[in-house]
Amino acid sequence: MLLESLTAGFDLFFTPLAIGLTFIGILIGLLVGALPGLGPLMGIILLLPVAISLPPIAAMGFLIAIFVGGSCGGSISAILLRIPGTPLAAATLFDGYPMAQNGRASDAIGIAITSSAIGGLIGGIVLIIGSPILARFASGFAPPEYAMLAITGLFAIAIISGGSLFKGLTSGCLGLLLATIGTDEFSTGYRFTFDSYHMLNGFHIVAVVVGLFAVSEMALQIMGRDLLKIPDVKVARPGFRSIFLTLRHWKNLLRSSSIGVFFGALPGAGGVISSFTSYAIAKAWSKPEEKYGEGAEGGVVSVESANNATVGGTLVPTLALGIPGDASSAMLLGALLILGFIPGPILFEQQPEIVSGLFMVYMASNVFLLIAGLLVTPLFVYVLRIPKFYLIPIVLLLCSIGTFALQASVFDLMVMLGFGLVGILFRATNYPLSPIVIGLILGPVLENNLRRALLISQDGYWIFVERPVSAVLVTINIALVIGGIWYALRKMHIKRTGNDSGA
Amino acid sequence: MVINAKFLNWLVTAFFAVIIAIVFQQIATSMTEQGIASGGPYNNGAAYPRSISIAIMILVAGQIFVDQFIASNAQKESNLHTIRDLRRPAMLLIIFAVYLGLLKFLGYHLTTTPLIFIIMLICGARSIIKLLFVAILVAFSFAFIFEEFLSVVLPGGIFSFNIPW
Repeated sequence: MLLESLTAGFDLFFTPLAIGLTFIGILIGLLVGALPGLGPLMGIILLLPVAISLPPIAAMGFLIAIFVGGSCGGSISAILLRIPGTPLAAATLFDGYPMAQNGRASDAIGIAITSSAIGGLIGGIVLIIGSPILARFASGFAPPEYAMLAITGLFAIAIISGGSLFKGLTSGCLGLLLATIGTDEFSTGYRFTFDSYHMLNGFHIVAVVVGLFAVSEMALQIMGRDLLKIPDVKVARPGFRSIFLTLRHWKNLLRSSSIGVFFGALPGAGGVISSFTSYAIAKAWSKPEEKYGEGAEGGVVSVESANNATVGGTLVPTLALGIPGDASSAMLLGALLILGFIPGPILFEQQPEIVSGLFMVYMASNVFLLIAGLLVTPLFVYVLRIPKFYLIPIVLLLCSIGTFALQASVFDLMVMLGFGLVGILFRATNYPLSPIVIGLILGPVLENNLRRALLISQDGYWIFVERPVSAVLVTINIALVIGGIWYALRKMHIKRTGNDSGA
Repeated sequence: MVINAKFLNWLVTAFFAVIIAIVFQQIATSMTEQGIASGGPYNNGAAYPRSISIAIMILVAGQIFVDQFIASNAQKESNLHTIRDLRRPAMLLIIFAVYLGLLKFLGYHLTTTPLIFIIMLICGARSIIKLLFVAILVAFSFAFIFEEFLSVVLPGGIFSFNIPW
């Protein structure tokens, strides 16, 4: 079964286009990861319009490789500039930057890339073994389970996404509401279309997401005072020796990768939590002579292996259940939907070659990451010297051409701009943006399954507690809300106590 | 003039108020006329967005309560920005909006090079020749990649200005 699920996608993956785009995706991922302010999510968003015009496995290979490369690329700027390119690499600088200061920048980058690739491959093994099992288990799910699962995914991400519980949930609800715009699948009535034919299918998700994330980010970046600054970066040339340096920490590598996969598979937890947790555990288990925080190789190994293993973990619920683990995997899920594939047990049953192709592009991405990362890093060091005033117009241009290319529609461009303004307002008021994307993706899943569940129910909403799996999910949802409220109150109490003692 | 967190919080509350008002207005008018504002789960297309809107209302009310009675003064007054700080992003958004508005009318090639050039000027770069060179290079490179490799037809505008690569 395992071998079957792997071999089915051979023909789809082994094409020059799919392999080439996966390799290019890694390079782009490393680039967007290394440049502070961008990151894997932004990379996926900006290149989604390009990807959806390609054959499915080539397109997904391109996007998954950006996710993989972007999750690692942040370490380059963290090590060389003490500025993590992405929040995922925030913990890398604890030991990566001191290593660079001690004249070991090349080793630090090499270890980061090797750990990321090996962590990613371990995540891939879990993905290949775990997702078919989860999909088989979920094949017995009916509308009540799917409706509750969608709520679980949304709650988890809204609660964990940072900031206030109310703000996270409000953002998630806004996403759900946006997903209702257009033609209602059941009644075939028009909702919130204002008699405009542009709105019959709702807003294009790419236009919404590009506006929310990319346009608002550029407006934020332009407020900075370092737009003309050329960072002083020394060239680093990691070699294949880094592989041996990394493998010396094999226990740490396995442990941190397992932590990464575990947190990745939990909706909402993501790479930041897994990288900090694995760093803390690695530090706690280290020998005193390793000197964590002063340039320990193990520190870089733990963070980088964990945050890339998270990518494999997050794809498990995304592919097996159709429930994304974070905003980046939500965009991958969105891309699959646009390409005409519905992630979940049906995809595993009816189109195993696509699932297999996705496994292959994921594994290949990590192999390419190791090769390209070690060979091409000096090039990315030069890229770090590009001042921001060149990048801002390039990103905005990519936003506008990419969005226009979706349907050759100026309306989409206006939607993008409008959501850019919403994104700015939300960022300014600390409303998280990721739950909006999750809400947009999960909105149709939730509404359709909720209404189907009520249609088949004899007792109205009691159907959700009458079925065992659904009842467990209801309990998890209640626990998530109670946990979220408890955490929010505790955080508020700590803040107030801190302020009082500060005063 | 200073823009603080309190002002921004009211702005976002107003945004949600408008969204909720639109939802209820549409349910009362368009959806009722179509006959999808009542009935069972199959016919009632309004029940779900109505429930979500009510949830948003409750959550926003909860956030207002937190902001007013629980958040510390330091939090309420955080995120201070002067109008001067916002000058650059405002200019960027205005230029970008004008670009998007003119894109279909004047076409990609006549609008994109000036856009890139002006954004770099807004960022504070002043070496005109270099900026012009970069703007032309970036605009044409992107056009080549999208038109040649991805078969995207970029807007030619009223002059039908497209480059046959």
